[in-house]
Amino acid sequence: MTPAVEPPAAISAALTETNVRVASDFSGAQIVLYGAVFDPSRRPADVVVIVRGPEQPVRIARKVKVGPLWLNSRPVVFHGAPGFYIAASSRPLDDIARFRVLRELGAGVDHLPIRAPAEQRIETRYGVRDVVVSRLGSDYLLWRRAVVRLKQDLGLYSEDQRGVRFVDRGLFRAEIELPARAPTGEYRADIILFQDGVPVSTRTRTLTVEKVGIERTLYVLAHERPWTYGVLSMALALAVGWGASFAFRRR
Amino acid sequence: MDIYLPIAEVSVNAPLLVALGALVGFISGLFGIGGGFLMTPVLVFLGIPPAVAVASMANHVAASSMSSVIAYGRRRAVDWRMGAVLAAGGVVGGFLGVELFRWLRLRGQADLVVSVSYLVFLCVIGGLMLIESLGTILRRRRGQLPKPRRDRRPPWLYGLPFKVRFPRSRLYISVIPPLALGAFAGILTAIMGVGGGFVLVPAMVYILRMPAPMVVGTSLFQIIITTAMTGIMQAGRNQTVDVLLSILLLVGGVLGAQYGARASARLRAEELRAILALIVLVVGLRMGLGLFVQPDEPFVLMSGIGG
Repeated sequence: MTPAVEPPAAISAALTETNVRVASDFSGAQIVLYGAVFDPSRRPADVVVIVRGPEQPVRIARKVKVGPLWLNSRPVVFHGAPGFYIAASSRPLDDIARFRVLRELGAGVDHLPIRAPAEQRIETRYGVRDVVVSRLGSDYLLWRRAVVRLKQDLGLYSEDQRGVRFVDRGLFRAEIELPARAPTGEYRADIILFQDGVPVSTRTRTLTVEKVGIERTLYVLAHERPWTYGVLSMALALAVGWGASFAFRRR
Repeated sequence: MDIYLPIAEVSVNAPLLVALGALVGFISGLFGIGGGFLMTPVLVFLGIPPAVAVASMANHVAASSMSSVIAYGRRRAVDWRMGAVLAAGGVVGGFLGVELFRWLRLRGQADLVVSVSYLVFLCVIGGLMLIESLGTILRRRRGQLPKPRRDRRPPWLYGLPFKVRFPRSRLYISVIPPLALGAFAGILTAIMGVGGGFVLVPAMVYILRMPAPMVVGTSLFQIIITTAMTGIMQAGRNQTVDVLLSILLLVGGVLGAQYGARASARLRAEELRAILALIVLVVGLRMGLGLFVQPDEPFVLMSGIGG
């Protein structure tokens, strides 16, 4: 009997919500993802769900001691950092696949493709051409880890080792918590099926987080007609102050 | 009851902001300061990005100063002409300060300058005011006569050209010192996110030697103009003014400012100054402490807005 006659394993998934509306009562959202694994051979399967928000460059500085003072170093800009990132999986990622596979997929906060291009230069070292060298030297990893750690502290980056739960044979569910400070924009959810440490099937779903109502009106005005917005909001503020003093005078 | 702020892009507790606005408004009306030096650190502590906190605060301070100035104006306690001269300097200083602040932000040193400014200015001014006001209070307790005010003003106030008469303050001095003072306060407005009242009030008392009843109202008048210009510039250049945030703070702020202005009439001037000095000292020390303590987290994310 040859396994080739069987159809390959496949994964399917859907979000219960594809549009998160940020109104004035927005305080974060919970997005539920459902999916199923189709595999006639019933080999053990692992599922990894990666949700990435729109890319936002990160500026980060290090505290350095100068005399008695703690000062900021020159800031370093990292590119490729998503504004929101979560990797949820059915088992710890390191048990699911090997380092290289995870790195290629960007699965897990340690494998995010963030880098600081302004700090890089290409040179020839030990006779090897085109070696990418970072000006941050051996501290480069420290900087990189700091970006992830600080974003984790803000609740914007996370890993959930048990975030994907199989609720029935082949049927799984994952919950994604979106904090209130998550950026607006297009989000992308990659749902990956692993078997024997190899990604065998992938589905991609998109999610839009957008401001609605008064939030949107104000945001658009503030960014498209900034001077009008500035004058209007100041006039409003002064009018409130002026009005209040009259209201108080009558009493 | 949480509310999502459209520009700051964070969710905050609305009643808490109103209460904070009321408290700062009360202090603002009581002492004739903008209250920004209190408000900005608290807003940042609540998780609002510093750039948004500084910019939105300008709107709030302008409005609560507006309502206080009218209250002071009715008591004929505003020297409009002196206020206008100070404000003219303030607008120029504001422009300079905004440029300076942008340059510092690019170099990642804005945090440092903000902390050092808070530490130096607040501690020096708070300390001086505390010593002076406690001295006055002690002398009164002992039943001594108040130290006669030295009416001999520093000669350089008279030696400078462009003399102008300020009838309300009974002064006939050059416009250069008030202009320079206003410009200095303007620079502080842009860098520290404050109205500059905590510098103006003592400087008007001790350097310009304005009559005490005029000082608070005049300082508030200058603050309105400087913060209004700064607020509009911040919105126009950096898009960091959150109108929802400033309105929430305002609702409490205008109420607080009214009560503050009334309460100030009941307290003695030196007692007022002693309380203000203590508040200023505590905030200055708290802000500056971070410079000397080894940080738990050796890295710091810089605000992405405008950067």
